[in-house]
Order: sequence, then structure tokens, then C-alpha cells
Amino acid sequence: MSGTAPEMGRRDGSFEREPARRVFASELRECRYQFKDGEDEKSPTFVLLPTGERSNRIFIVGTLTEKTRQGEQNIFYRGRVIDPTGTFFIMAGSYQPEAMQQLAKIETPAFVAVIGKPNLYQKPDGSYLASVRVEAITVVDKDTRDLWVLDTAAHTLDRVDALATSTSPDIVKAKEQYPSVDPAVYRKMAYDALAQIKM
Amino acid sequence: MDYSEVTERISRKFSKSGKEIDRQKVEGKLRRLIDEFGVQPSEAERSVSNELAKEFNIPAAGSSGGTGAGAGGATEQKAIAQAQPGDWVTLEGKVVSLAAPASPAIAQSGIIADESGGIRFVVWAKSNALKMKEGAWYRIESAVVDEYKNIPNLKVHSGTTITEIEKTDPLIPEPSPIRDLRPGIGSVRAKVIQEWEVTHDRMLQSGLLGDETGTVKFVIWKEPGKEKLAVGTVYSVFYAQVDEYNERLSLNITTATIMQEEGDIVTATGGDVEIRGAIVHIAPGSGIIKRCPVPGCNRALSRQNYCPIHEIQPNFVYDLRIKGWLDDGEKTHNILLKRDVVEALTGINLDQAKEIAENNPLGMDEVFLQMRDKVLGRYVACKGREIENRLLVNTCERMHFESGEHAKLLNRAGGAP
Repeated sequence: MSGTAPEMGRRDGSFEREPARRVFASELRECRYQFKDGEDEKSPTFVLLPTGERSNRIFIVGTLTEKTRQGEQNIFYRGRVIDPTGTFFIMAGSYQPEAMQQLAKIETPAFVAVIGKPNLYQKPDGSYLASVRVEAITVVDKDTRDLWVLDTAAHTLDRVDALATSTSPDIVKAKEQYPSVDPAVYRKMAYDALAQIKM
Repeated sequence: MDYSEVTERISRKFSKSGKEIDRQKVEGKLRRLIDEFGVQPSEAERSVSNELAKEFNIPAAGSSGGTGAGAGGATEQKAIAQAQPGDWVTLEGKVVSLAAPASPAIAQSGIIADESGGIRFVVWAKSNALKMKEGAWYRIESAVVDEYKNIPNLKVHSGTTITEIEKTDPLIPEPSPIRDLRPGIGSVRAKVIQEWEVTHDRMLQSGLLGDETGTVKFVIWKEPGKEKLAVGTVYSVFYAQVDEYNERLSLNITTATIMQEEGDIVTATGGDVEIRGAIVHIAPGSGIIKRCPVPGCNRALSRQNYCPIHEIQPNFVYDLRIKGWLDDGEKTHNILLKRDVVEALTGINLDQAKEIAENNPLGMDEVFLQMRDKVLGRYVACKGREIENRLLVNTCERMHFESGEHAKLLNRAGGAP
């Protein structure tokens, strides 16, 4: 599926792969709003982050603590990936056979890097669940995890700064959708995540 | 087909003689000729123009030669650099290069230049025009400038008169900075910075030229008497064809006049970029691959050792490469890593990869999987050159945790209330 992307890129100069956003688990957990960019059935779906950026894809590095196999005919795997701020719920099904095989092979616990698509689900009680459909997952080392925390903290702080100064359409939309967002919360989230890395 | 452009051209031509044409009627005639009768657009234009000329009692541009000197009324004599698509022009210039005609419908093609610049020209076989010689000066009356692949192109048709003129000026063009090149004809003084793998059978050489202001891709096609340029050497390249593709320029110097120069120039390194990010995808076709051994081909073969040009090649050559996406969180960059970069990054060299490919039950797939597991999701700093939306990576190094960066971010996060 994603394997055809580079070829598309070469043929059609205008093709741009959606970048993988860096987001901490506790920010993704706060997401309530997703939208399609375009009318087409194949138009990409974006989850709007409370700090005002759209994400069609995210890159996370954390500790895979659990994985479970589910389903009888349609097997899929669920897993939990922990970062310094919370938990990401990841899943890979038969539509992502490679990702599913990779996930099936990994012994928990392990540091993993995950590239995937965020999705929001509304549960029967009205609350939301953000989960990540895995495109690729690999075992990495602690150095990579620490680099990710720095990277994600930097991007989170960039977004928090932009909230105060920029009036991009996505930021305006985020302020509408998440009226109670307090930028200080996300600044502290970044600080706490950084503080968990040993000097 | 859009007739308004042709109509506009015809209208402009006649308005110069103070005549107003009925656009609707002209467009209708063009449509009828082209759509209903399958007439070539250029022929339709000529025939409609002639008909109008007769109507207005103006000597027609296309009325069999000879009237040359008197027919100048509809066109102006111009400096070559001023010739714009849509113009009917008369100009004087020197034929600085001739190219092999690409089709039997073309009698001659090449580049004609004066002190102001150069333009590509095409002489149609049907025009029965005077055969021009390279290095000689000519006066070309009533030719049309159109556009071919975004480049101005002087068309010599049956209404054009060519006369040789006495002039022996050496005509040495002023090289322009690479940064200022525009599609058309250009001259540069530049150094060959890189030589690339040729991607086509008919290609003699391709690579990168650079001067103080920038870099540009160049290509030389195989033609008798053409020689490769030497990497690291400075050349003056006169009257190269500047093409534009995907908003990037490239120089076709096959028919250009090339002179080796003394000395050196410090080339702009502005084209070299560094991108730091995470590798988020390794594309199929990465790992160990087989290449076509035919000299000058070097294409990647299919699993069945099939080259799209040279068919089955059992004596293929192994190579390593990684194609993938490098993502900095804001933008995703298409990257291509060559063998030495792959070896340094993965710790797997070509011999080891060959060993795995030949002895492991998964064969070449095993190399792909092992390399993927070593690089996917990792933070790297890639340096290289971005060409056609792809970063050709010269060095790729793993990034490491830096406590200085950590402290800086802690300050930034805790610095504001």
C-alpha cells in the first residue's frame, strides 16, 4: 500500500507524502475532532491535535508493554506503547499484513518505533478513544527513544508557541474545537517528559 | 484544440498592416480545416493567413518566395533575445550549431545567434529554404517564433526568405551565471562537479555543472564526435539548450560549443542540504539489487534478471541501495542511499549481503528485512543534494542523544510560566 508511494512521487511531481507528526500520548488522548480534507472517498483523514496541527500520520517511539491477538477469521493485533506521558493504543490487522507480522514477532517489553495513522473512535458512553493503525513497527534502542522525546518535546513546544502567535486555519479550528485548551498544560507535558530522561 | 492562440497570432500579424480581422470567422475557418479536414494546424494557419492577405490585398507571406525584400511590412527586424513566442520576425544571426534533424519533415535544425543571444530554429523540409551552413551569417525574413516544450523556437516556413550575408564577426557570447539561466539558449562558464550514472542508452554523459552562483544538471546525448567532460575541469559552454522539467532547469549541451578553460572556480555549495529526521519507510527495491552489466546501462534488473532494454542478463552485477522516506515531522523527504552510504549505515557490506542473498532461504528479501530492521524508525542526519524532489544522499549518520540539546529544551519548556 504505502510501498507505491515513492513511485507515485516520481511520476507525479505534486505528490507529497503526509509527514509523520510528533505527538505525546497524553496529547493524542485529548483529541476529539477528525476531518477529511476533500470530498473524495480516498481523501486523507486528519486528526486535529489540540495544539492546532492536523495529523494524518504520526511517528512514536516508546515501550511496547503488551500485545494481544484478537479475532478468529480476521486476526488482528492490539498493543500498548508507553511514552513518558501516557499510553498509545496501537493496532494492526489483515489490511496491514507486514505491520501485523512485525508486531507479532516482537517480544514485550521492547523499545519500538511506530509509524502509523491516528484514528478517533467514539465509545458507547460518548467518550473518545484515539488509536493508531500501524504502518510499520521495529525494535529500536534507548538512544532512539530518548531522541524521540527530545524531538517530540521540541515539536510540542513549537506548536504551543504557534498557538499564541499564528492564525493558521488549523489553529483557528483547534481553538473552536478545543475551547478549554490551556497551552501551559502542553508546555508542562513537554517539560515532564524531558525531565524523565536521566541526565 | 484551442484556436484562440492561433487566431490571436493571425490578428496581430494583420493589425500590423492596419487590418482588423473577424476573429469568429477566422476561428471557424481554422476549426473547419483542422477538425473536419485533418489539416495540420501550422498549414491551416498559413492557408487562412494567405486567404486573408488576398482579401486585404497584401502580398502574402506564403506566396512563393522572391518577393522577400518587399514583404517586410508585416514583420520587424529584431534582436534575437527580443524574439517572443507569437512574433513574426526578421532577424540576422550566425548559425552557431546544427543538430541532426529529428524527423524527415525537418530540413535543418540548430541554433542561430546574434550579439543579444541565441534561439533554436527549425527549417521545415516543405519550405524549400536555403540550406544554411554552420558558422555563417544569415538574414531570415518573416519567420515565426513559437514555443516548443516551453522554449522559444524560430520556425522557418515556406514564406520565409533566407539570404546569406557578409559578416565574419567571431561572436563570443557572454556566459551567464547559472542562477540567471532561463529556458531557451544559454551560455555558462562552469565546472563539472559530479558525473552521474547514465539512465539511457543514448545518453553519453550526465552530471552536475556548478559556478559561483549555483548548479545545474547537464546531459550530453550520443552523437558522432561527442566527448565526455572531465570531472573537476572548468569549461565554457556556449549556446546550450536550457530545458525546464518539473520546474527544474537542465542543460542539454550536445550541440553546444564547449571549450576547456584554465583555472578553477569555487562552486556554490548551496545545493547541498542536510536533513535530520526519522526514517519512516523503506521502499521495495531496497537492499541488495541486481544491475544490468551492459556498459552504460546499469539499470536495476527484475527478480528474473530481466532488463527493460537488454532483456535477460544472467551475468548481472550486485549492488546495494536504500530508497525510502526521511521525515522531520514537518515534511517527508524521498531519499536514495548509494552502496557506500548503505554499507556505513547498516554495517552490512556488499559481500556480506551477497552471502545472505545466495545462502538464505529468503534470498534477497532477507537482506531487505535485515536492513529495514537496522534503519527503520531511526534518527539520522542525511547530507546530499536534492534533485527532482529526491535527496541523493552522500553521507547518512545515526544521530545520538545530546545532553546539551536536552538541557536547552528543559529550559525552553520550563522557561515560560
